[in-house]
Amino acid sequence: MSNPVELRNVVKTYDLGDIKINALRGVDLTVKKGESLSIMGPSGCGKTTLLNMIGGLDHPTEGQVIIDGIDITRMSEKKLARIRREKIGFIFQFFNLVPMLSALENIQLSMNFVGKFTESEIRDKALELLRLVGLEQRMYHRPTQMSGGEQQRVAIARALANEPSIILADEPTGNVDQRTGWKIVRLIQNLNKLKSV
Amino acid sequence: MFKTLRFSFRIAKRSIGRRKFRSALTILGVIIGIAAIVSLMTLGYGMRYQIETTLNEMLGAGVIISSRDGSADIPEYVQEYVSQVPGVNASIPLIMTMVYINEQPTMIVGIDPIEVASLYHVTYEDGRGLEPEEDESIIFTSTTANNLEISVDDKITISSTGLGGIGQTFTVVGILHTVGAEQMNIGCFITLEAAQKLLGKEGYANTIMVRIDDPSQGEQIEAILENMYPTAYIAREEELMSEIGQIMDIIDGVLIGLGSISLAVGALGIMNTIMMSVHERRREIGMLKAVGAERRHILFIFLSEALLISFFGGILGCIFGLFGVYIAQWFIAMLGLNITIPLIISPYILGVALMAAVSVGIMAGLFPSWTAANIRPVEALRYE
Repeated sequence: MSNPVELRNVVKTYDLGDIKINALRGVDLTVKKGESLSIMGPSGCGKTTLLNMIGGLDHPTEGQVIIDGIDITRMSEKKLARIRREKIGFIFQFFNLVPMLSALENIQLSMNFVGKFTESEIRDKALELLRLVGLEQRMYHRPTQMSGGEQQRVAIARALANEPSIILADEPTGNVDQRTGWKIVRLIQNLNKLKSV
Repeated sequence: MFKTLRFSFRIAKRSIGRRKFRSALTILGVIIGIAAIVSLMTLGYGMRYQIETTLNEMLGAGVIISSRDGSADIPEYVQEYVSQVPGVNASIPLIMTMVYINEQPTMIVGIDPIEVASLYHVTYEDGRGLEPEEDESIIFTSTTANNLEISVDDKITISSTGLGGIGQTFTVVGILHTVGAEQMNIGCFITLEAAQKLLGKEGYANTIMVRIDDPSQGEQIEAILENMYPTAYIAREEELMSEIGQIMDIIDGVLIGLGSISLAVGALGIMNTIMMSVHERRREIGMLKAVGAERRHILFIFLSEALLISFFGGILGCIFGLFGVYIAQWFIAMLGLNITIPLIISPYILGVALMAAVSVGIMAGLFPSWTAANIRPVEALRYE
């Protein structure tokens, strides 16, 4: 059984014209199934860069990124999109919900891109997830009609939609108050046990 | 695939709804372009229809002989020779010219009433037809009579210039019943002799209409007549039609060209709107990519926005375009011109206009949508 995440000597250099910034200098990392891992560090230390690498949003300058035993280091854009929607769930600092869609539709979003579900399956699944994060009464509300914490919970539900093997959360509590932040952390921890992510 | 499309349309619809004012302006741009194309093409189509049916009605002939400069210089007796050409069914000398009645330019035809009665089935709305030798009477077609506000027993003065002045007085004896479309019936009729007197050309005509038995003989008969009268202008009806058709094609081309310019402006509007939309929604694009949207998904979302805008613009443009024809008709009437351009709604024109709207919309949307599809997710997410 391969590990969900395996990084081998990952280097990322940002080339800003005259200056080269080494954001990651040879990271080796293995995350096992069911493990949850927090990465902490000061602003600008490369946390986001690392998550982008794992999430297939960015290519490393050197090294290998292996997700579920699949090397995604040099994958095409199209295949990466597939990996992202099938294996990875993202939670961002700034919630990043589609403002034009309701909570329910936001959760359905990534399932829409997967060919195998029917419309009613997508709807049922999204409803179940909303219930899981305790927002079923908000299903028709737009992100602008919800509080930050609620938006983040929708984002979490969305991240779970395609039953990914990895959830990546980039400062999920960064934009809500402390108490809500704790709630979110607890929610993620619970989900970790429940869904064995 | 179908699901993706439906989903894209839903997002596009909301995006348009969210920026109502901007979308409305963009749609307005498309409406103006399409309305211009539809109204100009419909006017052109109406014009062509009118000219062709008028000709058909008036000539009804196989071959038409006319003097090259329009002056009455064909001796009347030529007709007798023409009638003897094998294949010729009948030939009628006539004078067709423009005169001024009540200071309005009007088409007048001088023709022997007996010949007309033998060839056409004519009915009268009011009054009666002309009698032979009744050289001071005139009959009008109903359209022209209405335009000039003339009724039976009126005395009218015909002059050859628009300035009025000395002319000849005629008594209106009849109004022709409108046959078929109203636009086919223009002008008025007097006897050939009266027309000759009017022009001071007794014994002459400027046109001889030749009816032939078998249309396939047309070319042959035309050649014979050309040999007989090398100085006259001889044309078969079909030729005349195709010549006029060519002129109409040019007019159509100019009209479509004018319409296309305004449509091009509309296209720029679409492009601008989609560009803005892409710019505003960079983060959203990054996020969509992060949750697994492929390039084509993003492309569809923005293309469908362009498509919706151009489709609505196209439909409304068609409606406003037809409305524009009404305005043009009203305008022509207000200028006091004795021209009626019929409004003929052609599904073909509407179809072409709608297709043009949608394809221009897609083309205008393609570049910004492509830009959106190629945005790199990391950059888009970092974007504030």
